[in-house]
Amino acid sequence: MNEAELILFAAKIWCGIGALVAVVFLTFGIDRIDEDADGAYVFRPLLVPGVLLIWPMVLWRWYILADGKDEWSHRYRPKRHNHVWFALLMPVAIVIIIGAAFSVRQTWPGDIAPEPLSAPAEVSE
Amino acid sequence: MSEKTPFFVGYLPVPQGLRRFLLVAVLGVIALFGVVGLVIGSTQDAPEQSGFRFDYGRQTVTGVIEMTPYPILRVTEGNDLIMPGKTLMLAGQGKNGIDARTGPMAGGLATVTGIVLQRGTIDMLQLLPGQRGIKVAEGEAQPIETEALGRWKLAGEICDGKCLNGAMRPGRGLAHKACASLCLLNEVPPVFVSTQPVEGREFMLITGPDGTPLPDMAYDFIGQFVSLEGDLERRGDILVLRMDAATLEVIPQ
Repeated sequence: MNEAELILFAAKIWCGIGALVAVVFLTFGIDRIDEDADGAYVFRPLLVPGVLLIWPMVLWRWYILADGKDEWSHRYRPKRHNHVWFALLMPVAIVIIIGAAFSVRQTWPGDIAPEPLSAPAEVSE
Repeated sequence: MSEKTPFFVGYLPVPQGLRRFLLVAVLGVIALFGVVGLVIGSTQDAPEQSGFRFDYGRQTVTGVIEMTPYPILRVTEGNDLIMPGKTLMLAGQGKNGIDARTGPMAGGLATVTGIVLQRGTIDMLQLLPGQRGIKVAEGEAQPIETEALGRWKLAGEICDGKCLNGAMRPGRGLAHKACASLCLLNEVPPVFVSTQPVEGREFMLITGPDGTPLPDMAYDFIGQFVSLEGDLERRGDILVLRMDAATLEVIPQ
């Protein structure tokens, strides 16, 4: 299994679990944690792509909300003092990623000349 | 937040204390993007002159269909632009080959109509759909010669012939790998770009050994710079490289 196959395999596993979570959550779970969703079905398929990608977060929030552990006011208390680090880290990360991409990029091997291995009329068996 | 701290609200006039900062930030970001664009652009090779030749208009020529196994046409009755003796790779519209349409005509005469794609010494014809694109021509096909050029070791890149010929530009390289893979999976003729000309040709049609299509394992190497060995043939004015899959390897940096 090469790197591309490994990535594809991991993506299939991730999205497979996500699909399972989406079916259960959007069929039963959402009714239990959001009273506004009760009786509303048309919007639910729209949530499937999102659930496929962030299903761990969905499970976590489902657990927190269903268990009554949610402290909603915390979500409205922005931790601005951390923003500056992200603001610095993001451009640095972008520069590192672009730099890494350029450093591992192959160079066109223009100096390698074609090499005849047999006489013109011969072909390999 | 003190009352004197300026606060930016998009739909309100810009606070006095933020104007200079915003002006500098906006001009700085514009300049930064320009510089980054120039720096990244300067590291890229300019694509060679290539592309669809819509300016030629639709071209209709007749010739012998050969399956290498990818279809090529050896022109026997040309026109002002495509002379007899010319060899054209054939492809369909979009990311599609035309193996299913040309297969039954292999070895026979056919009249084809389409748009030329041109790059360097290699030309392709993108056929119109259905009978308008290709139909059996009357007459007897003359035997066509294939000249064996021996076994060669080459370095370069495996691309799809359509994008390389200018359907996309630059149409090669790692950034184009996914597009090239889709084209090749749909039987667009693959092309090998050699680092240096072989028998006067920088581009050549590449196939698997013994008249087979490009082997599956070669798809992993599309868009990368590789070395490989294979038997070379001259068919009309194009070269066909029958690669030996066991020799295919990525060139170390």
